[in-house]
Amino acid sequence: MSAPIEIALTVNGAPRRLTVLPNLVLADLLREDLGLTGCKIGCDQAACGACTVLVDGLPTTACTTFAFEIDGKNLVTIEGLGDGGTHPVQRAFLDHTAFQCGFCTPGMILSVVALLARHPDPDETTIRQWLSANVCRCTGYQMIIDAVRAAAKMRAA
Amino acid sequence: MDGIDPAVLSAPVVALDGPDKVTGAARYTFDVALPGMLHAKVLRSPHAHARIVAIDTSRAAALPGVACVVTGADAAALPDPRYGVFLRDQPVLPWDKVRYVGDMVAAVAAVDEVTAYRALALIEVRYEPLPAVMTIEAALAPGAPLLFDEPAAGDPVPVGANATSVKEPRPNVLYEFTYRNGDADAVLAASDRVFEDRFEFSRINHFHLEPHVNVARVIGDQIEIWSCNQDPFVLRNDLARVFDRPVHCVRVHASYVGGGFGGKSYCKMEPLVVLLAMRAGRPVRLALTMDESLLTLTKHAGELILTTGVTADGRLTARKSEIRLDGGAYADASVMTTLKTGYRITGPYRWQAVATRACAVRTNCVPAGSFRGFGGTQASFASESQIDMIARRLGLDPYAFRLKNLLGAGEPFQPNDSAIDSDLVQGLDEVARRLGYHRRPPAATSPLARGMGLSIGIKDGGGTGNHAQALIKVMPSGRAIVHTATVEIGQGATTALSRIAAVALGLPLDWVRYGAIDTDHTPLNNGTHVSCATTVTGAAIERAALDVRRQVLDFAATQLGCVVEALTLQGWAVRRGNVTHPLEPMIAAHFGGAGFEFIGRGQMKVPFDAKAPLNAVNLFWIPNWVGAEVEVDRETGRVRVVRLVAGADAGRSINPAACRGQIEGATLQAYGQALFEELRYDGPTPANATPLAYRVPLASDLPERYESFTAEHAQGPGPFGAKGIGESGMLGVASAIANAIEDAVGVRLTALPFTPERVLAALDAQQVSTTRR
Repeated sequence: MSAPIEIALTVNGAPRRLTVLPNLVLADLLREDLGLTGCKIGCDQAACGACTVLVDGLPTTACTTFAFEIDGKNLVTIEGLGDGGTHPVQRAFLDHTAFQCGFCTPGMILSVVALLARHPDPDETTIRQWLSANVCRCTGYQMIIDAVRAAAKMRAA
Repeated sequence: MDGIDPAVLSAPVVALDGPDKVTGAARYTFDVALPGMLHAKVLRSPHAHARIVAIDTSRAAALPGVACVVTGADAAALPDPRYGVFLRDQPVLPWDKVRYVGDMVAAVAAVDEVTAYRALALIEVRYEPLPAVMTIEAALAPGAPLLFDEPAAGDPVPVGANATSVKEPRPNVLYEFTYRNGDADAVLAASDRVFEDRFEFSRINHFHLEPHVNVARVIGDQIEIWSCNQDPFVLRNDLARVFDRPVHCVRVHASYVGGGFGGKSYCKMEPLVVLLAMRAGRPVRLALTMDESLLTLTKHAGELILTTGVTADGRLTARKSEIRLDGGAYADASVMTTLKTGYRITGPYRWQAVATRACAVRTNCVPAGSFRGFGGTQASFASESQIDMIARRLGLDPYAFRLKNLLGAGEPFQPNDSAIDSDLVQGLDEVARRLGYHRRPPAATSPLARGMGLSIGIKDGGGTGNHAQALIKVMPSGRAIVHTATVEIGQGATTALSRIAAVALGLPLDWVRYGAIDTDHTPLNNGTHVSCATTVTGAAIERAALDVRRQVLDFAATQLGCVVEALTLQGWAVRRGNVTHPLEPMIAAHFGGAGFEFIGRGQMKVPFDAKAPLNAVNLFWIPNWVGAEVEVDRETGRVRVVRLVAGADAGRSINPAACRGQIEGATLQAYGQALFEELRYDGPTPANATPLAYRVPLASDLPERYESFTAEHAQGPGPFGAKGIGESGMLGVASAIANAIEDAVGVRLTALPFTPERVLAALDAQQVSTTRR
């Protein structure tokens, strides 16, 4: 196995310097080393989106990203989104019960944050397209879509 | 319960598990880690059917970091090494032969998953391949290879009047259920018209996002497991039996479950994880990958042949059914699924006579078992398709034909069973109104043809002869913890069950917490199944709350020196005349110390009754009203669902948002199965058993317009008139879409899913038959 790599990045607003093995996957770094277990591993092959985190604002599947790839980047996980669930998207998910089992919810919320950053007032088609990066097997998506609309309104207010 | 203001119940509810789930704080079994914990991986069979000639694990065991390797030989030495529901034929690990691609062959516990995977690659297994039976037809062919040489352990489920329940009646048949009411042959012979139709139901996977995961620890006599299983007490019994430990030496912990839909019900790989922990002498975690979960359990595929009689004026007379479900390689929950398919096949209609025969066939496919509404989905698809087909053949409107034959409220489903407790017509009318069914334009011959279809799925609910116990602890401040074994799997049980206690005690919802589940402390129930949480466990909670209430009033009456009748409980205070006495100081003054807890207990049992067809009168009925509008492209065969309306009867909604979520979530699962989702076999290996290849509905697959409604017919047996609805949305969707396709283009699809290839083939056949005429 090749030598460990030094990386420097921002994790939920705090600068971090880490030493990682070249085969370490970002999801394992977050869950095992940083204790950020809100990053859920579902399919482990970038099909379900449960492990989605934001890398420089872009939704990224942590299960198929090497830890060294985020050197120099700004990483945001569900734990860093808002203080105790106060982010507008989290509040909208709560208000609209846009979750059931909750396993997809952290990744889904982060995808919605990215969606609203690009499209502050998205139409139905845009919402459906963006949400299609994340599988939710429980809700049937409609209550999530309601939450996206509500979050967009909250951000605009 | 008397005196509950309906407005209190219909007020919006904030889900108690919400803050945990939107912040990432929610802890699942997937997140459980114990000090010194090892990680396990499983070697799986590449053969559908093969004798295990030899296994050499020496190189794997010698790999640094490997704690132990177990094989079928270790499993065979266990006191009772097989599991299954009623009939037990699935070995903890097989020792004689493998029976499907993906069957577990050996397992390794090591310091990490990478090492465990490397060790798996060092295990050498010599197989002698055997001919496999991949379809029901192949399994039932004369001289077909047998999956088992010896009978399964256990006895079939007991049934009641006019029903039979038989274990292994024929080669490769695990189980057979029959039910008859009257002389169906004679009634059919006397009917004006008789129609026989055959339907094929497809195999799908649960695709819960949290794969199966268990962490086991064995210390001395004590087996302890943190499990994603939906049924902590069922699992406790299975582990005690497999390892021959007294049941009080087995302890099961449940956390939030990341989706299940039946896929995490009953015993599966849990004994294997315990076996590894025993051998290793350290805690062991086994988290399957989603690929492995796809090879662990499916919904039952099957064929259903219905023979249905009708009078010239459109009254149903009798129905005979022959149902064969593909149970796959092992029993799992096939017994119950088969029984329920057979019993539910009549649909919610009036019959003079009924004769049903349903069996579970063994094949070399992934085992089939529980899947949201099991049996009900298979039966409703076939029945509601055929009802529509018959109406159209008779030249009757399918809506009017249903109306003429539907059971009314108060009419029993079958003799000696309970009466329908929903207004089926009202629900159908609601769907028809929302869809604009009665104003639909006549079928057009344009390339893009539109049509509408209706359906009423139905199943019995709450579990046959089910029971549950509950306990509520109320602290001096009036804060309460509810303890039951219903697992929070996303259905909102945490909130609904806490709410039942809060409303019954007159406390704010945020004063009530749902206790952690631990079989050492939590009262027993039969698991998280059959939409039973609100009605069965909920009833036990309501009784526990009444028990607390009585204790509190008794205590206060003694303290105040008055009779109980003089007091009422108001918030966390008692009122006597015009004076209010807060309870907290009263409790502190009397008990001192750390205070006191009022502990209320409640239980609910649906009695067994041998006169009832299934040996217990059904607790409540779960209808699912669905309407679909489709657009069929005659040139490509593509079916687009323009509009989907689905409704269920919650009796009384205890958490309106959760009810909506249950209906819409189940509906979309059924919608995927109707249009594209399927675990396919083209040979001995599943063709698409990977998360990338197995297609589940995404947001982009949603029907153009999609709406749901929660009816409240207030006839349920649960608290405040509640009924369970979790499975409802699975029942009517596929048939409503099939009915809409026929309405649009005049062809009938009888096999799921309705792919463009199938639609085009049906349209081509229609063309040929029209030309010949």
